[in-house]
Amino acid sequence: MIRGYAGRVLDVDLAARTFEFGPLDQDTARLYLGGKGYGTRLLYDMTPAGIDPLGPANPLIFATGPLNGSIAPQSNRFAVVCKSPLTGAIGNAACGGSFAYGLKRAGVDVLIVRNQSPSPIRLEIDGDRSHVAFIDASDLWGKGTGETQEILGRKKHHAVVGPAGEHLVLFAGIVSNERIAARTGVGAVMGSKRLKAITAGGSRRLEMDDPQAFKKYTKWAGAMFRRHPVLGDRLKRVGTSGIVSTTNPRNILPTRNFKYGHHPDALNVSGEFMADHALTGVKSSCIHCPVLCGRDVEIEGVGRVKGPEYETVALLGTNLDVPDLTRVSEWNHLADELGMDTISLGAVLGFAMELQERGMLDAGVRFGDPAGVADLIKDIAYRKGLGNDLADGVRRMSEKYGGRPFAMHVKGLELSAYDPRGSYAQGVEYATSNRGGCHVQGASMYMESTGPLTIDPHSLNLKADLPVVMQNLACAINSMVLCIFTTYGMAPRFIHELSPYSRTHRALTAIFEHSGPLLRLAMGAKVAPILWFEKWLTYITGERFTSGHLQEIGARIFNLERMYNLREGLTAADDSLPDRILHEPTFPGMTSGHPLHLLLPRYYALRGWDRHGVPTARTLKRLQVKV
Amino acid sequence: MSITVELTYDMSQALGTRRFEVEGAATAADIVRLTRARFGERAAEFERLTRVAAVSVNGVLVTHGRGLRTKVADGDRVMFVKASAGG
Repeated sequence: MIRGYAGRVLDVDLAARTFEFGPLDQDTARLYLGGKGYGTRLLYDMTPAGIDPLGPANPLIFATGPLNGSIAPQSNRFAVVCKSPLTGAIGNAACGGSFAYGLKRAGVDVLIVRNQSPSPIRLEIDGDRSHVAFIDASDLWGKGTGETQEILGRKKHHAVVGPAGEHLVLFAGIVSNERIAARTGVGAVMGSKRLKAITAGGSRRLEMDDPQAFKKYTKWAGAMFRRHPVLGDRLKRVGTSGIVSTTNPRNILPTRNFKYGHHPDALNVSGEFMADHALTGVKSSCIHCPVLCGRDVEIEGVGRVKGPEYETVALLGTNLDVPDLTRVSEWNHLADELGMDTISLGAVLGFAMELQERGMLDAGVRFGDPAGVADLIKDIAYRKGLGNDLADGVRRMSEKYGGRPFAMHVKGLELSAYDPRGSYAQGVEYATSNRGGCHVQGASMYMESTGPLTIDPHSLNLKADLPVVMQNLACAINSMVLCIFTTYGMAPRFIHELSPYSRTHRALTAIFEHSGPLLRLAMGAKVAPILWFEKWLTYITGERFTSGHLQEIGARIFNLERMYNLREGLTAADDSLPDRILHEPTFPGMTSGHPLHLLLPRYYALRGWDRHGVPTARTLKRLQVKV
Repeated sequence: MSITVELTYDMSQALGTRRFEVEGAATAADIVRLTRARFGERAAEFERLTRVAAVSVNGVLVTHGRGLRTKVADGDRVMFVKASAGG
């Protein structure tokens, strides 16, 4: 067995109430690492096309990777994979918290949950006894995600759903501690199985190939993280919502359902404002993570709750024209307890408000007015009244009520909080992302709109190349499983300290912007493990991982996801952006919107796909993708 | 008509305002100069707060064009921008 893995796959059948511990397939682990890569391979092989995502045939796969269970910073995350009930395409989400640690301590690399229970149930996985207990969960059904975890014991490691998952809200998530596997409706799939919670634990230790080298290097990497301007300072100080100070002046902050990219009062929901006015001083992190990007806020009338992240302050704040930290924190807390993705929630509320504004729907909620929003959020979670329609997401709402041109989704997944009209590569990434409109399947926006050294977001240079490289990297990271924030460490300290007007900064930007072939060459090189996650993988598994290996593994995973989607009937026509993004300009000099049509052909060519967006036989053979 | 200047959070805390109007500026450099003037004798504080900050004009970062020579006109929105990360 390759080191870094427990070597076991736990297969649970909720209908038969049986379980079986089987071996991890080493060849699959070598090709797909773990996490969403391994999970996608399993899903592809286990299911035929066309299954009902909320039916018994859709397995819910929890997968860890070789870094999980170690003390490497940002490394205790798990991936959930299934067919998405929201998009009908590949569904996956990653989550921090502590459940990945619990699974790995139980000696489980991958947990497959099949079929459906006739009544509410929860699972307790005892790795030491190699036993799974099926426990009636009627007493927990209907309870919030925080309360459920309190009852089950905060010292244990859980993955739970809230009422939104129970009521099959198509953007319900799965919660571990205060973190959530939010996107694509994985919580609805868990709810459809009437599975309220999973608890995992044991005393297995991670076996490494070279523990001394790992320990020594991790000590160095930890110190580097602590000194890093983003990982060691900014994220700790102002959290992820500090990025409002970047997206607002660059006109990419969703405002009034993406009609605009700037809100005059956006600073009221910025991380800096939060730090000055609401923080309790208590910070939180996923297990073993020194970054501490989470924080508690004290909100009058609400109490001490988790502070909202950037995506939440944008989608529930400026996007609804309610840049009010108190209201956003209250709605964020509500969404967390109910177990919902705040990105999709904010997008569907924004869409309902625009329908209201245009007289197309009496939604009872209006831009700029917090009245009625909290009640509507509850109605969504419990599928009451109009909430029942909103619970199906933006795409289905637009099919029922109209408004397709301003329905802000890709492949049915609501857009994250970076307007692609000011971030062309991010737009390509949204359009081609296998799970739909998501920012953490590559995060190109960091290289063109938010980071310390950004290429011109409105030129066409590198806008097809960058997404390919970043998507591949993200696939590999989500399969180790590591936090995508680790990539922020790739911009060294000196770049953060350069004046943007300095010659060095200008020279580096120019080189970066014209580095297409060089970038792909450099990232594809299999010279030596250089970056921290390459070294961790190498020390833990005993196999050699370089940037080139990770690009190859990432491309393999991305292409397999693509093949899954094609099998489900998706086509190149689904690689698109909302009409508002394609046709409404937001910047001076823009005559139209995002120039996706100019970038997609090159993107397909770089991927080794034909003009219909289908991976060629040669590409699949080169990447060893069996379909 | 005038040009609206929007500050970063830290700058706004130092000056006690989040935005102000400017008339007669022709370039981004003029905006930076006029903003610096508002700090008066606290020049060092201005330098500290803007050391790694760029300027955008109507959402477009000037460093991707003509830098501080970028022209500005009445009705424009000029904002100070800090690089960040998160999401």
